[in-house]
Amino acid sequence: MPHIKSNGRPAGEPLVWLTSMGLAVGLAMVFLLLYVIVTNGASVFWPKRIYAWTISDKGQTEVLWGELAKSQKKRVGEGDEIQIYTGNRDAFSASFRYVDRAVITTEELPKGVIAIERLEYGNAIGLPVRLALADGTTIPAGDDAFRGRLRSLVSEIANRRDVISVLEKERIGENSRDIYRQDLSVRRGKRTGDLAMVADAEAEIARLKLSYDELSATATALRKLQSADTLIIGLCNHKERSIVIGQIVDFHFPNELGLAARIGTTIENVWKFLSENPREANTEGGIFPAIVGTFVMTILMSVVVTPFGVLAAIYLREYARQGPFVRAVRIAVNNLAGVPSIVFGVFGLGFFVYGVGGAIDSMFFFDRLPTPTYGTGGIIWAAATLALMTVPVVIVATEESISAVGRGAREGSLALGASKWQTIQRIVLPAAVPGILTGLILAMARGAGEVAPLMLVGVVKLAPSLPIDGTWNDTDLIPFLHLDQKFMHLGFHIYDLGFQSPDSDAAIPMVYATTFFLICLVLVLNLTAILMRERLRKKFATGAF
Amino acid sequence: MPDADPNRFVTARSTLLVDRFMTYFIKVGGLAIIAAVFAIFVFILLEILPLFRQAKVDAIGERHGPAAASLAFGVDEWGELPFTLTPDGTFHFLPATGEATTFHLPLTNTETVTAADYDQTQQVVSVGTSNGRVLQTKIAFTNTPREDGTKDVTAIPEVTGEFPLGEQGKPITSISFGESAEAKLLAVLQEGRVQASAFTVTRTMMGTSKVEKLWAKDFTNLLPGPPERLLVDEKAEHIVAVDAEGRVTVLEANEDGVEVFQPAFQPFADLPDKRIASIDYLFGDVSLVFTAPTGENRIFSLYIHKDLQKRQYGQTKELPKLEAGATAFVHSVRNKSFLLADNKEVSLRFATAATVRWQGQVDYPVRQATISGKYNRIFLLDDRGTVHDFSLDDKHPESGFAAFFGKVWYEGGDKPEYSWQSSGANDDFEPKLSLVPLIAGTLKGTFFAMLFAMPIALLGAVYTSEFMAPRLKVYVKPTIEVMASLPSVVLGFLAALWLAPLIEEKVPSVLACVVGLPASAILFGWFWTSLPDHLRSRIRPGYEFIAYLPVMLLTLVVCWELGGPLERLLFAGDFRTWWPKATGAAFEQRNSLVVGFMMGFAVIPIIFTIVEDALTNVPKDLRSGSLALGASRWQTAMRVVVPTASAGILSALMIGLGRAIGETMIVVMATGNTAVMDLNIFNGMRTLSANIAVELPEAPHGGTLYRALFLGAMLLFLMTFVVNTIAEVMRQHLREKYKTV
Repeated sequence: MPHIKSNGRPAGEPLVWLTSMGLAVGLAMVFLLLYVIVTNGASVFWPKRIYAWTISDKGQTEVLWGELAKSQKKRVGEGDEIQIYTGNRDAFSASFRYVDRAVITTEELPKGVIAIERLEYGNAIGLPVRLALADGTTIPAGDDAFRGRLRSLVSEIANRRDVISVLEKERIGENSRDIYRQDLSVRRGKRTGDLAMVADAEAEIARLKLSYDELSATATALRKLQSADTLIIGLCNHKERSIVIGQIVDFHFPNELGLAARIGTTIENVWKFLSENPREANTEGGIFPAIVGTFVMTILMSVVVTPFGVLAAIYLREYARQGPFVRAVRIAVNNLAGVPSIVFGVFGLGFFVYGVGGAIDSMFFFDRLPTPTYGTGGIIWAAATLALMTVPVVIVATEESISAVGRGAREGSLALGASKWQTIQRIVLPAAVPGILTGLILAMARGAGEVAPLMLVGVVKLAPSLPIDGTWNDTDLIPFLHLDQKFMHLGFHIYDLGFQSPDSDAAIPMVYATTFFLICLVLVLNLTAILMRERLRKKFATGAF
Repeated sequence: MPDADPNRFVTARSTLLVDRFMTYFIKVGGLAIIAAVFAIFVFILLEILPLFRQAKVDAIGERHGPAAASLAFGVDEWGELPFTLTPDGTFHFLPATGEATTFHLPLTNTETVTAADYDQTQQVVSVGTSNGRVLQTKIAFTNTPREDGTKDVTAIPEVTGEFPLGEQGKPITSISFGESAEAKLLAVLQEGRVQASAFTVTRTMMGTSKVEKLWAKDFTNLLPGPPERLLVDEKAEHIVAVDAEGRVTVLEANEDGVEVFQPAFQPFADLPDKRIASIDYLFGDVSLVFTAPTGENRIFSLYIHKDLQKRQYGQTKELPKLEAGATAFVHSVRNKSFLLADNKEVSLRFATAATVRWQGQVDYPVRQATISGKYNRIFLLDDRGTVHDFSLDDKHPESGFAAFFGKVWYEGGDKPEYSWQSSGANDDFEPKLSLVPLIAGTLKGTFFAMLFAMPIALLGAVYTSEFMAPRLKVYVKPTIEVMASLPSVVLGFLAALWLAPLIEEKVPSVLACVVGLPASAILFGWFWTSLPDHLRSRIRPGYEFIAYLPVMLLTLVVCWELGGPLERLLFAGDFRTWWPKATGAAFEQRNSLVVGFMMGFAVIPIIFTIVEDALTNVPKDLRSGSLALGASRWQTAMRVVVPTASAGILSALMIGLGRAIGETMIVVMATGNTAVMDLNIFNGMRTLSANIAVELPEAPHGGTLYRALFLGAMLLFLMTFVVNTIAEVMRQHLREKYKTV
């Protein structure tokens, strides 16, 4: 760019730099946020070393074993402090501890330390001492067979846990569902005066209760086997603690892992995080039900929103007479995209849950009342609410892509004798499909990340079962898909973990990990939409018309 | 070649049919969907309309009781079986159909009942007799449902005790009794003298209770004159005495007697006739309702007076005047409503916002009235012993325009205020449903979000559109759009658990950054453009922001470190304690600063994208013309492009505003959610949207709170709708403008 005056600056040039600050700050904000999420979220899965810190404070010396959770400036006074994850919540009554850096005298990596993931009380950290087996024999930790035996015991336990879970969740669950079903028959029989029905159902209930007793006896016997063997570890305060093998989910020796093994463990951790059920008030375990819940809800939402959005857009663009009315409608549709999501939640609760759901209950599930079936929050109402919320997005995107289809193609089709619908069906819609998909993906991204309306229409912190599984309930309209059920959702999981959790220190890694996953999901959806749109723009820019 | 099919130009019937069907289907379907979308508005409106409805009171029948004047008039909880008490000591229970049942108090031959006090909550009637005896009757009601949904109620009265009090043989002219879980307090008026007696109740492990008499004394000398009426509150703490000159004295019972709690005051001191026509407590027994003989209706509540530093009764409300002083008064035992009747006029009122729920005329003088425990029936007793039944349909007595938007003097408060507190621990809690602090909170959050987002988004958009090299634009816009896609729950979580603790200790650093960043940009720009040509052309136009990035980092580091010294220098070493001392306003960790910053993530990309589009769409000719005439690129941008696109920029700001108004999760998570009304940046707020998210899951379906939250949603809807419509109209206007240039 040529300068007019060589030694003077063009007017306002420093202010141009001021505007560049606006952009730089905006970009920095995005990257800072992503950085915080990615580093905190990804580091959760990386197996951390366990240190032994010697602390000398006021003449007392103490050794602490644990992972370094974070390091920060002290709240009071000068210097730094560190937060140590010591685990062993059952023994120390807390799993985290803050220590002043100044009182730490030594820091080393103790050999042979074991980190045990348990069903309850978080991790245990200590030095293995011995295995006490059910037959009375013990294997000291120094023994060559120790680790192999522990590994085989843990995997045996895990298999048996699966068996118990199937027994309790599926067979006993089915049994109690049957009892409930018969109970409904009793109620219906009493209401209609059909005494034979009542008698039949009551006999059936008695039989089912017997088989329930059998099943639960089997389960109890198996459970007993789970606690037969124990592992004894030594803690950092030189006390011994025994851990029932049945409590152990997994264990590893973090200070002995090489780089490859650590990467392997990380992958394993990620997989476990994605595929397991949550434990201990959601602060341990995985997020599998939340993923399934989010997925099913988003798919249901898409199934609802697409036909309606496309239909409305076709009407507005192809059939309605363009004039003040359509212009007003378009303004209103745009406006609706700006209506706060919570307002849709309010509507969903009032209209879908209490209105439609209540009506369905009083018509089809009368015998279950006053326990609501569809008249309470459920995945179907959540999907419907979000569909309503995202319908403007789809309408706008579809309209745009329909109007981008060239006049030539349209007129060519009509000139060749095609009817209006044939033109739309064969010419306009196929050309508009990528645009519609873009809108749909944006809608899905919004649906997957939205929480506020869901809190009103069916999200829960812990759902007893998945919205889609192998059971066929009486309330299912579509087999195996439980539309009336409450569900877990990634976004709500974050809210719940971060704000409703009893042990917030323990929950924070899980929140970051879940956030990381949700952000990845939403970003992938959005980037797909953005890329598709860019490609479309290019396609139309070079189009022949 | 075979001949062409002669029918080749005839469209197949099926095609025509399908086409006609699709035309019809799409038209109906499309219109229906659009209509359905707008049904949201209608549905929410329908849900909130009941809030603004008056009470509906309809006469549904009458039943005939004894003609003798009644001393007590009560009804069971379900409103089926009213009863009267005649001076001969007989309870008459009056069912809707069938014979009345009676119950006789054990009185001696010449003894009559001269005063009675009915406690509707406990269903206990205390009577004083002409012989100076005090008897207590507890009435138990049992019900069996009938087929038509009504209940068949039977009364089982039982005399539960006789209290020796005062002098034998002298008639009792007024009696009042109060009972809490731990204490009982009884006061009677006997020939102008006040006698009171207190009892303690101790409950044993077995569930039985033991009543012990504490004292029985005469307190006439504490009063300025002989009283006419006595009133004991349900907590068995206070005795209110009213005399013939309209003076009210409040006495307080303690372990060994009574002392003056509040010296005599006259509720109607400003009127020519200072007498009191009626006095009674409201539900909860912390407010007294008075009427004057001329019909004035005032409420006095207990609250802590600023000057006295102790709890006293003071006037809090004045309700619309009746034609004459009330002859019948009754308060509901479910909410803060009460019913007044002078001779021919009946008025149902609600104390909280001083509203008249219903007012009507009857053609008989009303002597007594009662409201059923479920607040669904009213019974009026006339001078001939006829009981008139009324159905009462008033589901939301505590609502109304004044309750939602007006300043209300709540019980226990020392001045009228705007307050939101929807639920409390006790049954007699008075819901505070003012939406004003929530609206204020919404505006506050929006204000701080815009304060932060607006400059960044506008500057960034101007730079991207006007100065940035086109090659870089391809990467910048999607990045900003990524920002728009961040779920608000993530932003909220980071705001609360990462940003709030970080900022809390570093407020001076943040302030330094706010000043330092723009200053550094301008200074560096000025310095760089002062350099000789060959140096300054190292940074090509359009790449400034990349050159600025290291400067920005440096500035941030410097300002961040500068925070500590600044804090020592200006804020006495600790900003967190300095701020409350210097301004008197609170400092919270989760405050508006944090919310404003995080809402920026939600708002910046929206404003940025629309402004950038608006600027880019300004016709190229304008720019070229300006540059050709010798204007610098800054001058071109500011004097030509920005003014042309100003409508688009305003519309972008409006849409950003709309987004900030409705943002929910960030506010729920990053503030303390206390409803406050101030502009202090270092405390939180409660917005309409957060309020809905927090309270609606627990609100019972169809209740007042439920509908009040719908009203909040409606306000949000309207606010965003108005803002967005303005934006949309502006955008259309802009489009017209581009056509002409």
